[in-house]
Amino acid sequence: MFRKLVLIACLVATPALARDLTVVAGGGGFQDNARKHLFQGFAQATGQKVVDDIYDGEQAKIAAMVKNHDVTWDVVMVEAPEMVRGCEDGLFEKMDWSIVDKAKFIPNGTATCGAGAVGWGVTVFYDTKRIANGPTTYAQLWDTKTWPGKRLLRNGAKMTLEIALLADGVPAADVYKVLATPAGQDRAFAKLDAIKPNLVWWKSGAQPLQLVGSGDVAFAVGYVGRTAKAAQDGAAYPLLWQTMLFSFDFWTVVKGSPNVTQAMKLVNYMTDAAPLRALAQDWAVSPATTAVAQDPAIRAKNKAMVAEHAADGLFIDTEFWVQYGDDLERRFAAWVAR
Amino acid sequence: MTPRKPVARLGLLLTLPALLLVAFALLLPLGLNLATAVRDPELAATLPRSAALLRQWDGIGLPEDAAFATLAEELHTALEDQRIGSLIARLNFERAGMRTLLLRTARAMPAAPASMALPALDPQWGDPATWHILRRASLGITPLYLLRALDLDLAADGAIIAQPAGQGVFLNLFARSFAIAVVVTGLCVLIGYPVAHAIAGLSPGWGRAAMALVLVPFWISILVRTTAWFILLQHDGPINAALLAFGLIDAPAQLMFTRFAVLLAMVHVLLPFIILPLVGVMRRIDRGLLRAAASLGAPAWRRFAFVYLPLTLPGVGAGALIVFMMAIGFYITPALLGGATDQMVSAAIADYVNGSLNWGMASALSVWLLVGCALIVSAAYYLAPSRR
Repeated sequence: MFRKLVLIACLVATPALARDLTVVAGGGGFQDNARKHLFQGFAQATGQKVVDDIYDGEQAKIAAMVKNHDVTWDVVMVEAPEMVRGCEDGLFEKMDWSIVDKAKFIPNGTATCGAGAVGWGVTVFYDTKRIANGPTTYAQLWDTKTWPGKRLLRNGAKMTLEIALLADGVPAADVYKVLATPAGQDRAFAKLDAIKPNLVWWKSGAQPLQLVGSGDVAFAVGYVGRTAKAAQDGAAYPLLWQTMLFSFDFWTVVKGSPNVTQAMKLVNYMTDAAPLRALAQDWAVSPATTAVAQDPAIRAKNKAMVAEHAADGLFIDTEFWVQYGDDLERRFAAWVAR
Repeated sequence: MTPRKPVARLGLLLTLPALLLVAFALLLPLGLNLATAVRDPELAATLPRSAALLRQWDGIGLPEDAAFATLAEELHTALEDQRIGSLIARLNFERAGMRTLLLRTARAMPAAPASMALPALDPQWGDPATWHILRRASLGITPLYLLRALDLDLAADGAIIAQPAGQGVFLNLFARSFAIAVVVTGLCVLIGYPVAHAIAGLSPGWGRAAMALVLVPFWISILVRTTAWFILLQHDGPINAALLAFGLIDAPAQLMFTRFAVLLAMVHVLLPFIILPLVGVMRRIDRGLLRAAASLGAPAWRRFAFVYLPLTLPGVGAGALIVFMMAIGFYITPALLGGATDQMVSAAIADYVNGSLNWGMASALSVWLLVGCALIVSAAYYLAPSRR
């Protein structure tokens, strides 16, 4: 009888979790620092064990998990259009605003299935030790006579088509208007055709730094957070803010996760001001939490914040990619293989 | 007679585990793959009542009013329940623009819509072509994926038509995969034949050592070997450094992301597969035959061309077939070392599985790849010299 009581007491005392709380993001320096301040911060604050993993943004794994009712991820960081699409597809739980405080986010920082995490951006960069004066705009990036060499872009229609139109002289404010028309899409692909032999494609965020570092590509469009960190660590990479395309990532909870409540609590913690301030000491984040995003001390310290340079860059239109993403990605896949 | 029966039964019993393994690990997945290439469950699963009504429709003109109302209602419910995604992906795959149409309709429809609200919302609902697409999708099986994998398409009335000139990509991809596989096989035979001949002629001790050297790469993961080539072929890597040091080139050559890199790494990885069977065949050739030919006055080249080569052809055929089958399914090496125009069919299959989660297309491409390889194996079998 006594042994039974002890057993029951042990079962009741441990948190009722099927497996460890798992959070997944895109890796890199951001995740290393997030692990310290956000994931393990939550673990220390609540005694709840948190493990983290890395993925390349491929939604298929999440879709397979949800479909087979074998969900091994709890919280995932997704780009804005994928978050909206995933919400329609039933991949993500609707955000529980009773646990996550909706009021602390910037305008447009919340969605049905997502809570705003951090901003991210891509810029053109190259190794100034190999090329003294490189291109400073996308139109110049297309100039293969003045600046010969391979150009490395992210494999996908998103961002690539906008870059093509920007290179073709379309003003930033009109890019999505033009791209929404068939003529505009043809124009973007025609512009890409012009330098197709010089284009190489990356899938993983570490590839731009690796290939520019080894000299296999002359110019790359890569995540500005990693480029800024590399520049800080001594690499001779310029930060060309006028070439930035940026957007926001959202924290989502995978539908069918056995740890939904704990996951929501983790999301709430990761978007709180205090942990984000701690993170901002080590990594130039642009959070979607108003208190930190508009904190003058943080903005002064982190010059490489995406939000600081938003005025120079192009915001990637979420609704556009939710609507046209399917067709354009398919067209791009066919074009790139030709 | 009687003593043979227990032996035969024992033989059958011993092969049973192997047969079961083949059945479960090979035939069952193949069958499922074939089934996935033609299955079309999305519409019937998401909009069951509409699917039933569409199946009853005879296909002439437009469906009855009840179908309009049921469809609008079920679309709305599917959106609310977050079930609409797979249906939208399936229909948008058949015709671009269906995503926008269906989402707009689902969002605009109230819980209990009026029967003729759909055409009022969007003229596409008054077009029979839209309804034919929905009807075809409600049937449960479809030839769409198999056709698209061959750059064909279904017209509005269900006829098979070719895709517009710029949009077809898979025939090109199959041709390129086939070409790369043929070139790799040819290079492997050309390089592997002399090496196998040399190894076959060594004394037993040296022969064993040489075979060990051929086998050691098998113990290293293919990903590691491909990554090693990645490091070797880099802009500032050892190969470029050596070429520069010898003065053969003025500036580092572009070795990465080229067809050359893909062929080089694939030949390196597949060479042991042709050396091993060839060494086996060559060792078993009776040297007495060659001596007999010499004693009859045949010069070295005739001895090789008319005695040695024909005897080794079965080994060449076996090895070449293995190399070809492996080469045509290669994924990692072209993905890591090749440019965008060096990707093989397997990369497209992987994209459909990992990227757009379009299992129908992934299965359809695998089915055609399987059919193509089966045809090639059959052709090789019927053309094999031993059959004549």
